[in-house]
This record gives sequence, structure tokens and C-alpha cells, in this order.
Amino acid sequence: MAITTNVEAILRVEGLVTGFRTGGGLVRAVEEVSFELHRGEILGIVGESGSGKSVTNLSILRLVQCPPGEVSAGRVLYGGKDLLSASEEEVRLVRGRNISMIFQDPLTSLNPVIKVGKQIAEAIRLHHGAKRREADARAVDMLRLIGIPDAERRASDYPHQFSGGMRQRVMIAMALSCDPEILIADEPTTALDVTIQAQILDLIRNLSAQSGTAVILVTHDLGVVAGMCDSVCVMYAGRIVERATVDDLFYDPLHPYTRGLLDSIPRTDSTGKERLYSIPGSPPNLVDLPEACPFQPRCPKAQEACARERPPEVTMAGRAPRTVRCWLHAGEDHHVS
Amino acid sequence: MSAEGALLEVSGLKVYFPVEKGIIVRKRVGWVRAVDGVDFQVSRGESLGLVGESGCGKSTTAMAVARLEALTAGKVLFEGRDLAALNPTELRRARKDFQLVFQDPWSSLDPRMRVRDIIAEPMQIFARRGELDLDGAAIEARVASLMESCGLSKSFAERYPHEFSGGQRQRVGIARALALGPKLIIADEPVSALDVSIQSQILNLLKDLQRQFNLTFLFIAHDLAVVEYFCDRIAVMYLGRIVEIASSSQLNHMPLHPYTRALLSAVPLPDPAKERSRKRLILKGDVPSPSIERAGCPFRERCSEAMERCAHEAPRLSPPAPGGSGPAGPGHEVSCFLYQGN
Repeated sequence: MAITTNVEAILRVEGLVTGFRTGGGLVRAVEEVSFELHRGEILGIVGESGSGKSVTNLSILRLVQCPPGEVSAGRVLYGGKDLLSASEEEVRLVRGRNISMIFQDPLTSLNPVIKVGKQIAEAIRLHHGAKRREADARAVDMLRLIGIPDAERRASDYPHQFSGGMRQRVMIAMALSCDPEILIADEPTTALDVTIQAQILDLIRNLSAQSGTAVILVTHDLGVVAGMCDSVCVMYAGRIVERATVDDLFYDPLHPYTRGLLDSIPRTDSTGKERLYSIPGSPPNLVDLPEACPFQPRCPKAQEACARERPPEVTMAGRAPRTVRCWLHAGEDHHVS
Repeated sequence: MSAEGALLEVSGLKVYFPVEKGIIVRKRVGWVRAVDGVDFQVSRGESLGLVGESGCGKSTTAMAVARLEALTAGKVLFEGRDLAALNPTELRRARKDFQLVFQDPWSSLDPRMRVRDIIAEPMQIFARRGELDLDGAAIEARVASLMESCGLSKSFAERYPHEFSGGQRQRVGIARALALGPKLIIADEPVSALDVSIQSQILNLLKDLQRQFNLTFLFIAHDLAVVEYFCDRIAVMYLGRIVEIASSSQLNHMPLHPYTRALLSAVPLPDPAKERSRKRLILKGDVPSPSIERAGCPFRERCSEAMERCAHEAPRLSPPAPGGSGPAGPGHEVSCFLYQGN
């Protein structure tokens, strides 16, 4: 789908800040994260472990445990409401019915002692007030839709009787059973083999195209992003360092971190066996980050300003929304936020 | 490839695990055929990659080669000597020549040992038994030089594993593996637990070390892009068997076996335009259980090109018949009737 700025966003995240109080100090997991999501769009959030991708999504659905976690600033605008200041009851109604989430590990997300069909039906009854029999029938339909063979019989199996790929399908069936407007998929295929991953991604892609469901896809795999997403947010140390359409990001990366990440993946489609590029050092400790660009110690293009001050989020000119947090582009700003 | 050049020669390797039932009287009710007849060779200085999905037997193969898993059948010739026939003392001595690097850098290092002791331990054990001619000072010097080769700063020597990130721990694990000056390194998913930016650091390090110490690698990974980058040749495994073996570039540009083709097409490419234009072969279903005795080709239920013959006859790994589908390079072997004459 082409991303156009004139389409109203269905979800708008503004200046989200989430931290965790730990014995070692305040961990700033998410720092001033802003993005929007449009109908039918697949938005990728990429980054390495600890970059804040999962916490961003947990914060959106108010699933960050408090204490130790705390969403201390920002707004999450959905359906004319700010989910962060809404009542628990209001958020509970949105969760599952309007915004569904699937997680990386399907085995721990399913109840081991309840039949698969019943678990899907439960979600349908809860959110749509459907009758038991209706819900059961719809659960079987959902299983069929996601390509489980012999769905009627498999509905009365327990989760352990399903393989990893099938369990992840069940999670998707559960998430989609209420026709959500938004599906948040947090590393949905990380625990799966590539051929199964291809099946699951295909399923998500088709469902999004058919029903117009917007998807936030969290992943660390740039290949998955290239094949699935319309637009991408790259996160580093809790911040979105670059936001762009998928083509802009892969063919014209602006942030040195994005560029480094793209250069350091070995590719099956490359011919040479040249040395891989590697970003020196390792990601920073998120406790007491200094007032500097967090990527500065590893950055090949670091300047004097980078060590002194945090770069602002710069909005670049162009048709599609594009932002980058880097002093290299601070002069090209259209409006600095 | 000539047999004289081979450092490692594996033939007819089988590893079966018993499936038992019963609480008091345990009875064997079947076997899990984790590795079911695997043959391959690795030349000196070469890297052979074993790829496949979970449960295909790639790790079990590696563990059996290192004799960390009991062999059900087969031979593992290391420099012409059968490791499977060694007694425990001989085996311990032989292990000096082949060392392992593990996937998880969090559980493969002793949390109560300092980095220097972790790297020195293998040398101390062999020196104590008089099988290695190094005294304390020499060991210390070697630890320092290994740490330098592996990109670990000197100040790390007195620290404990928990103080390090995943990438640095993996470097410690690699330094330990090199301590005894091995000829073969068996690396079981050495970069799978690491982030992309760290993964490329470790891959580059392993390549540098290979050149520096003239190492031979048996490299196990599920990530095809990583294996293709690192290895000279690749063996693709499915249900305990090798279905195709070829040089990395041949396998990438001209995969023959239907499973290899599906596997390659399922690997996401970090290139949006290519991703949009490529045709994906999506496999149906899951890998069948390796505990069921089966006749015929192990891949036939998921294969789009299965023929009648595949159901009752198992294809053997052999060079593709000429004239089939383009020229296959030397050493390219495939286990599929599509490429076998008659």
C-alpha cells in the first residue's frame, strides 16, 4: 500500500516515554517515541535487543507493569481518545477487540489445559457477546481461515498437540477473531523455522490486505521488514533514530546506525565473500545515558556536537513522512521538533 | 575432492534415541532417528556448513562427530583415525585437535571463573597430565595472546562472564576453544544468539582466526545467509539425512533439491524490490516426526514434485545425472529422483 500523508492516521503515538525503576537506577527503555499508523499499513519496528521495541508496544496497550515500569509522558491517540489517560475499563475494551497483540512465544501465551477451539471462542464471546455455540463455530472458521487442516477435529486438541508454527497460527486466529483494526505482532516468527516463518508472514500479509487491518510488526530481521512492511521505524537505545518508507530506508538510509545495520547483514543474494561491515562496540547501558547521542561512541561519522547534545528529531522533505535523529541532517530540517 | 585432503571423513553416521514407555518397567517402543545415514568430508582449511530446520539432525551430527553423543552406527575418521573406536583416554587426548564453540554464550561459560581461568583451564588440564608441554608462565602468555587474537582487551582477564555482553562472551568461548591449538572447530550456531551488529563482528573474527591458525570448520546454523557467507561448502539436512551438498555459490545460484529450493525462497532478503518481485515457494505442513519408520524419500509429503517412485524408494545422495537441468559443478550432490537417470 502506498503511504499518503492525507489519510487520517488510526493510531498516533506522541512523545512516549517509558522507564523502569531498578536497583541500578532508572532504565530509560523508551524515550520520546512518536509515530503514526494508517489503515491497512504494515509498520515495522526494528532494532536490536534492548532497543525498546517491545516496551513501546506494551506501553501503547498499557501492559507495562507498574511498578517497576512507568509510562511517564506522551499520548497514544486511538479513536479520539488518549489511551494513556483513559480509564482501565476503557482500555480493556480496546485491547483485544480493536487492538490485538501476538507474542513471540506461542506456547507460553496459550493456556495448556484448555482446548484450542475453546480459547479462541472465549475471546469471541468476551468481546462480541456471542453465544457459546456461535462462538465455537466461529472459532472453527477461524482455524480453517488460517490454514489448519481438519479444523473441526483440531479445535478440540490441546496446545501441546500443535506444532510451533500451528500454535503461532492459533495465536493469530485468536487475535484476528474479533476483527481488530490494529494487530501488534511482536517478533511473531522469531521462534520458528524459515519455511514456517514464510507461511506465517504470508498469512499476516494476506489478512492485512483483505481486511484492511493495520499491523505493527516488531522484528530484528531486516529481511522480514523488506518483505512485509510499508514503512519502518528503526530504534536504538529507546529512541526512533530513523523513520521512513521501506524503500527509502533500504535504498537511501540516512542515519549511520541504519546504514551500519544494513551493511552488517550477510546476504544470500550477494556474490562476493568480502568482509562484513561491523559496527564496533556494543549497545549502551540504558541506565543514566549521558546527554549525548547514544550512538555516538559507535558512530563512524561522529562530530563534536554528537558528544555534547542529543540530536533533535528532524523531519525531512519529501512525499512520505520521514524523520531522522542525527546531527548530520540537522541542517536539512524542515521543522525541528 | 580427494580423500587424502580430508581432515574429517564421516560415513554412514546414525544416531538413534530410544523412545521408552512405562513407569516401573521401561520398554523401548521405538526410535527417534535423529541422524539417519549421513556421509560427508571436510578438507583441511575448509568450512563445511550444516543447515536445516529444527529437528533435522544438524546439531546431533555435530555432537556425534565430537563423540559427545553416542553413535548408533557409522565411522568418524579424523586424520584417518576412527573416533568412534577410541577408548576414553584416547578420546580425551584426541579432543585436543577438535574443539567446540557453542550457541549460548550465557550458559557455556562457568559464571564463577575469571576469564583468564576459563581460557587457561583446557591447557592446565592437559599440562597436568603431561600431555602438553607448557608451564604456568607459558600458559599465562598464551592466554594473553589468545585474548588479543579474539579482540578481548587485557583488562578483561580478571573479570567474570556476567560483566560482559553476549558478543564478548562469545569471544571468550572462542578463545577457550582455540587454547589447545585445535585443527577442527565445531561451531554449533555460534552467532544465532547475537544481535545483527554483533553477529558480523563474530563472523569476521572467526574468518580472521581461520586464516591465522589454519582452522577447519564444521559450522552449524539455521540462518542460510550466515552459512553462505562463512562456508565454502554447504550440506542441507532434512529429517536426519543430507538432501543436497554443494559449494556455497552453487547452492545459492543453482539449488536442485525441491527442499533446498523452498528453503532458499523462504529466506527473507533485505531488499524490498527483490522481495516484491520474487516468487516464493511456500511449503505446506510441518516436518514429520523422526520417530516414525518411513519408506521412500523423507521429503515426499511436502514435495511439490513427488512422483510415485518417491513413496517406496529412498533416493541416494549422488551427482545429478548430466543433461538434467543445467550443469552442476564438481562436488554437487543431490538426493532426489528428479536428477537421477533411469
